[in-house]
Amino acid sequence: MKRNKRFYVAVLLLTMVMVLGFATFCMASGTIPAPAGKTPDFGNWFVVGWTAVNFFILLALLYKFAYNPINAMLEERSNTIESSLKHAEEVKIEVEQMRKETQSNLAESRKEAQEIVARATKAADDAKNEIINKAKEDAANIKDKATAEIQAATEQAKVELKDTAATLALLAAEKVLNRAITDDDHKNMVKEFVNEAGDLLC
Amino acid sequence: MIFGMWDEVLFHLGPIPVDHLVVTEWVLIALIGTIAYLATRNMQLVPRGLQNAFEAIIIWTYDFFTQLMDKEHVAKKWAPLLTAFFLFILFSNYSGLIPGAANIPGYQPPTSNWNVTMTLALITFFSVHIAGFSEHGGGYFRHFVSPNPAFLPLNLIEEIAHPLSLTVRLFGNIFGEEMVIAFLLFLAPFIIPSAMMGLSLLLGAIQAIVFTILSASYIAASTGEAH
Repeated sequence: MKRNKRFYVAVLLLTMVMVLGFATFCMASGTIPAPAGKTPDFGNWFVVGWTAVNFFILLALLYKFAYNPINAMLEERSNTIESSLKHAEEVKIEVEQMRKETQSNLAESRKEAQEIVARATKAADDAKNEIINKAKEDAANIKDKATAEIQAATEQAKVELKDTAATLALLAAEKVLNRAITDDDHKNMVKEFVNEAGDLLC
Repeated sequence: MIFGMWDEVLFHLGPIPVDHLVVTEWVLIALIGTIAYLATRNMQLVPRGLQNAFEAIIIWTYDFFTQLMDKEHVAKKWAPLLTAFFLFILFSNYSGLIPGAANIPGYQPPTSNWNVTMTLALITFFSVHIAGFSEHGGGYFRHFVSPNPAFLPLNLIEEIAHPLSLTVRLFGNIFGEEMVIAFLLFLAPFIIPSAMMGLSLLLGAIQAIVFTILSASYIAASTGEAH
């Protein structure tokens, strides 16, 4: 804006200087010298002919330097704009398609992820159940084994107790009777007794 | 002494005399050609500067004539001629306003001479009839006897009045304007003529536009559907 103002002021100053110069010239020379010519004829056919020729030269120049290049440029410009618009439309469609694709991909991914999570959850559940079952089974086995062992030990203890009791009873009977009975007789008697007593005790 | 009314042979080109006016025309045409050349020398897809301005003139005139004539192909065919009229008359009118131009002995704007304006009007005259004939063929000549053969003389007078009015209008305006400026310079050489010069700027443009519009409307009328 400031530059424009300066430009206009410069043009105005230049014009004023020129007008002043011209005025000075006019005043110095008194009047503008009348050229030594004659008033123009109406129908100076040389001027008419020259003007016509000049005008058609101008027309040719304009065709060469203005109309043809400008028309070509306008056509090129409209082609460019058209192709740009077309391209923009294509890009728009492509983007829309890509958007749809992305959306469907996203949905698919989400579904897949859900599936994976479900599968993982199921696997974890399965593993958990398996572990628990195995633990239970193990516990049961251990318990069974322990029970069996205990039973075996009890049996053994019973047998040992019976033997000890038979021996003790024999010793006691020997002491009471003070005589020895043949071992086999005694053993049989005592065993019979202990078995009866054992059955009663156990 | 009648200032500005001057017609003198400057030199002879073989047997053909060359007037001052003709030399002025050459200079103007060279100027327009140079501007056109500079404007379109390095055409850009996105116009800038001189190219933009020149393109705007060409496109504006083309659009203007297209609006004026309802047939676009006619406008397309004749717009270059009309644009050339416009540029030539505009530059010619403004050439009288160049400071110091009146100091050149024998200088005057070409359009302030009736021979020049008559030539331009004659080009319009022939263009009108060529346009009409090429658009309507032989049927074009029917409009000379329409609506009734009795109107033939009137129609002919009308056809002659068109170029005559174009000639005299342009010549009268520019010649008168030049005379007024010359006499103002003669009477009061300081400041006062500048007001008239400002007016002349407007006048020169208006006369160029008027001549072009009238030519366009004559062409539009001769190619229109009325015939």
